[in-house]
Amino acid sequence: MVHRKTGGYSRKSLSLACLALSVSLFLPALFASPAAAADVVLSSKTYLLFYERQYAGGQKNQYAPLYEYLSADATNLGGKPFSMHFYGWGRVDLGDDSGTGSTSGAIGSFYLEYQHPEGNAQAKVGQFFLTEGAAMAIIDGAYVKVTTPVGLGVSLYGGVPVEYSILDNGVKGGSALYGGRLFYVKPGLVEIGATYLKENGDFVQGKDLQLYGGDLWWRVAGPVELTGKYTYNQAMGETASQRYAIRILPTSTFDISAGYEQYSYLGLFQAALNPAFLPPQLNLSDKVSAFFGVLSWEFVPQWTLTLGDKYLHHDLSNPGNANRAEIGLRYSYNDKKDTAGLSAAFVSASQDVNEYQEYRGFATYSPGKLRLTLDALTQLYKQEIYDKKNQTQVVGTAGYQILASLQLSGNVTYTQSPNFQEDWEGLIRVTYDFGTSTGGKK
Amino acid sequence: MRRASAVKILGAALLALLFGCSAVSKTPSVPPKHPEDLPAGQANCLECHKDVSTGAMKPYADFVHTRVFVNSHGTYARSGLNLCSSCHNPAFCQTCHAGKEELKPNVKMGDRPERMAPHRGDYTITHQIDGRLDPGYCYRCHGNKSDTKCKQCHR
Repeated sequence: MVHRKTGGYSRKSLSLACLALSVSLFLPALFASPAAAADVVLSSKTYLLFYERQYAGGQKNQYAPLYEYLSADATNLGGKPFSMHFYGWGRVDLGDDSGTGSTSGAIGSFYLEYQHPEGNAQAKVGQFFLTEGAAMAIIDGAYVKVTTPVGLGVSLYGGVPVEYSILDNGVKGGSALYGGRLFYVKPGLVEIGATYLKENGDFVQGKDLQLYGGDLWWRVAGPVELTGKYTYNQAMGETASQRYAIRILPTSTFDISAGYEQYSYLGLFQAALNPAFLPPQLNLSDKVSAFFGVLSWEFVPQWTLTLGDKYLHHDLSNPGNANRAEIGLRYSYNDKKDTAGLSAAFVSASQDVNEYQEYRGFATYSPGKLRLTLDALTQLYKQEIYDKKNQTQVVGTAGYQILASLQLSGNVTYTQSPNFQEDWEGLIRVTYDFGTSTGGKK
Repeated sequence: MRRASAVKILGAALLALLFGCSAVSKTPSVPPKHPEDLPAGQANCLECHKDVSTGAMKPYADFVHTRVFVNSHGTYARSGLNLCSSCHNPAFCQTCHAGKEELKPNVKMGDRPERMAPHRGDYTITHQIDGRLDPGYCYRCHGNKSDTKCKQCHR
């Protein structure tokens, strides 16, 4: 087992400091020009679930977790290109405890953003989802990006990763994460970037995470483009991951892509917090190479065919190799408000335990303010899992748009699977969206 | 140690911003919010836009939300998230890319079966296979950003 510890630093204190900084920057901008305070979008999603579980020994628990997801986005603060974003959720159990304790919650993001009117220059400070070059993390910190008139640009970021161990053992993520991306972009033709990322922490082999990488987007000719991404893990001394693809888009209705990707467990999972990605649950000496292809073709208006295939080769015989092939057909109707679809997937593998088939069908129907949906999925396993070789789940929903900003809907879910002989779940969903101005946000 | 690192990083970012503002490209930025209301259902940029996006510096055709795009959306987001942000608020990304989460995306979006929400069905069963075969795919969301329910088995 790989053990990691954190220092005595209070992650919460930096988080609060960043939030305080955000708010202190935000308030003057908000009140500088009361006549044009901000364009505000508020969204509340409330979910109340009902389900029952029977455990070994006959104990039967009834669960009713109530979740509230709240997001608030204020743009054009004081008539200036500043914006403030918040997203978070909380849970209260109205029945038996459904998780760790009877309450839970998290702040997903809370940050101030500046978007310069020219050159896509931007800056963020606070807690936000960072996706730039080799980085994909939620951090408490800062981010800045600038593109110069000649197309050269730079992005820099740094902060403390907001990561949570699933275990109650005090193990947490790195103490600091920072890096950047240097790039050149010629609009419509090419973008090439070089990235660096370092996360300080006591990761696998007691080392920090240190990544070097490169990325490419190149419109080679006409509708043909190439993309590539390479990441080298300096600390582990090997390639963490690489992915190369060709994509062809001759018309707006035809889109095809194929490529190759490869990753090593040691290089990619070195800083994992989830024990599912670490020994003894995974052998970090394994490497995966994959060839993939995917097609999306609207062959007649409203009818779209999708095909996909991914062949996976493992260096180790356990788990061995596998291939996943998919086919799907979709029909959109009612002025694109509704969709119906059928799909099938076939996973063949060198070990029987990894083989299964999946079939799915769904349809939506939205007459006026009503919305009805039905979604059915079944999977057939080649080898029994917990003495059963299949599972089926059917989800039916009904919703009604009470007001332009308020919708009430509910799900009923039926499941039979290796886990459940027969299970019913209910869900009530209340969605409230409020905006002070026009403009699209989804 | 950590506080010192954070201060250095913040200082570097602010310095970069100050220097950068004097040499910023004059190309108009992508607006922080799409100026018009978007229709119900999946939007298609090509219905109005034909050229290259000012935000991502790539043709709008790249961003039609086909299955090909959805499978590789990270490639585009990692070099130009501001274009995504013009139509999607940050909460949209974090429906899946969450730091801490208890509800599966397909539960939250049970009334949107047309969306590509992972983990449909009783995924505690199927993830045993998918996770063995392609853990790198799982790692994007579950490596450092975890669901407390994982610990029922992964300890």
